[in-house]
Amino acid sequence: MRLEIKDLHKKFGDLTLFSDFSIEFHEGTITSILGPSGCGKTTLLNIIGDVIKPDSGQLSGFSEKTISYIFQDPRLLPWKTVRENIDFVLGRDMPAEERKKITDQLIRLMELEDFAAYYPSKLSGGMRQRVSIARAFAYPSEIILMDEPLKGLDIKLKLSLIRIFSRMWQADKRTVIFVTHDVDEALLLGSDIIVLSRAPARVLFKKQIEIPFENRSLESDYFRELEKDLMTALGN
Amino acid sequence: MKISFTGKKYISLASVIFMLLVWKLLSMHFDSDFVIPSPEKTLLATLKLFTDASFLSIAGSTVARGLTGFIISLVLGIGTGIVTGINPYVDAFLRPVLVTIRSIPVISIILLALIWFNPGSVPVFIGLLTMFPFITTNVSDGIKSIDRDLVDMAAFYRVSRERIVRELYIPAIMPFIVSGASSALGIGWRAIIIGEVLSQPEYGIGTMMQTAQTFLNIDAVIAWTIIAVLISYGFEKTIRWIEGRFINWRS
Repeated sequence: MRLEIKDLHKKFGDLTLFSDFSIEFHEGTITSILGPSGCGKTTLLNIIGDVIKPDSGQLSGFSEKTISYIFQDPRLLPWKTVRENIDFVLGRDMPAEERKKITDQLIRLMELEDFAAYYPSKLSGGMRQRVSIARAFAYPSEIILMDEPLKGLDIKLKLSLIRIFSRMWQADKRTVIFVTHDVDEALLLGSDIIVLSRAPARVLFKKQIEIPFENRSLESDYFRELEKDLMTALGN
Repeated sequence: MKISFTGKKYISLASVIFMLLVWKLLSMHFDSDFVIPSPEKTLLATLKLFTDASFLSIAGSTVARGLTGFIISLVLGIGTGIVTGINPYVDAFLRPVLVTIRSIPVISIILLALIWFNPGSVPVFIGLLTMFPFITTNVSDGIKSIDRDLVDMAAFYRVSRERIVRELYIPAIMPFIVSGASSALGIGWRAIIIGEVLSQPEYGIGTMMQTAQTFLNIDAVIAWTIIAVLISYGFEKTIRWIEGRFINWRS
């Protein structure tokens, strides 16, 4: 089944974010969407997640899917521990021991064992985002939407989170739509790279990267070239 | 219970000793039990109160009035606080009402209540009216302070409404309820005793104070005051304990 948006229109007051906009996603891959701030990237995610209704347009393939979210700020409940925060999103129709099994597994995979009983106020920004990633993977979703989850973190943390994320992703290869304005992040994580223009959004550039994550290096000629192309596209 | 004496605790202890010392000096200066009885005499009077057969009925009645007023205003306050926190129109409507209630001198409410209610209910009513606005305002502020992003997150993940209320809204307003309850009890407790002094129910700390004052038993007036302060301290400690028990997630 294809994931597709066709002839999307969305206006906020006088601002037209999308007009006759169409885009397609490949299932089981990570799509990085790049674009200048204010181009409607977050709105696009909200439309996909059925949180905002479009003025018109067709979405196909999304409606029956369950979706996880990784937001720019981790959005953890301050009164719940790391473990309880992960458990919070699991439906209560799931038996308690099943929930515990999933939570334990994610805590282990995300290397959060030592912090499972901590409240978010005791964690660093990078750690909190790690919990938010664990929560997204714990949720039995088919699609993960990410809205600039690495913004504001230093480069070392970014790289380690990208490494952890791609390792986690390998396990069940969910469809990921990753919105960012950072070219390096988009290149390190995405299999499909899409560049959007300023509002009203158009697709300016599209590229598929076949190289597996672990072999990607921003220093290589291929990525340097690609980065230049992306920068030019974004410059419009 | 473990008690550790840190530097600050020594200073607090010194403060208590200082107050007792000033009291002792004043009582020596005036040298009259009708003006200021000595601390040791008052202490004896206080201890004697504890052994009095009717002590439990007297202190118990006042505590029961305080708790009745407190619990009613807690329930009403949380209810109206939630509604005003969610609905700005109800908020705009109720705000002047709350400001008015808070601005009315306690003595006016007592004078009116004396006409409207029986002596035992007057203090409860006074307590209720003084405590209710504090709790409402705090809960209302608590609801308004809830992070919309967290509510959105829960909605994105399809968490049920009932769980959002129980696991997100209630914990978020808990600190506001506790701090509202703490200031409400501090003010309400004093208002209840004033109410008792004037309404003269059969049993009550205020009643005993009024009687003692009539017969110029100044040591008894102060002794009952000490008991009122101790009970108030007990309330405050209980609230702090609840706070530590249920709101342990703040760094």
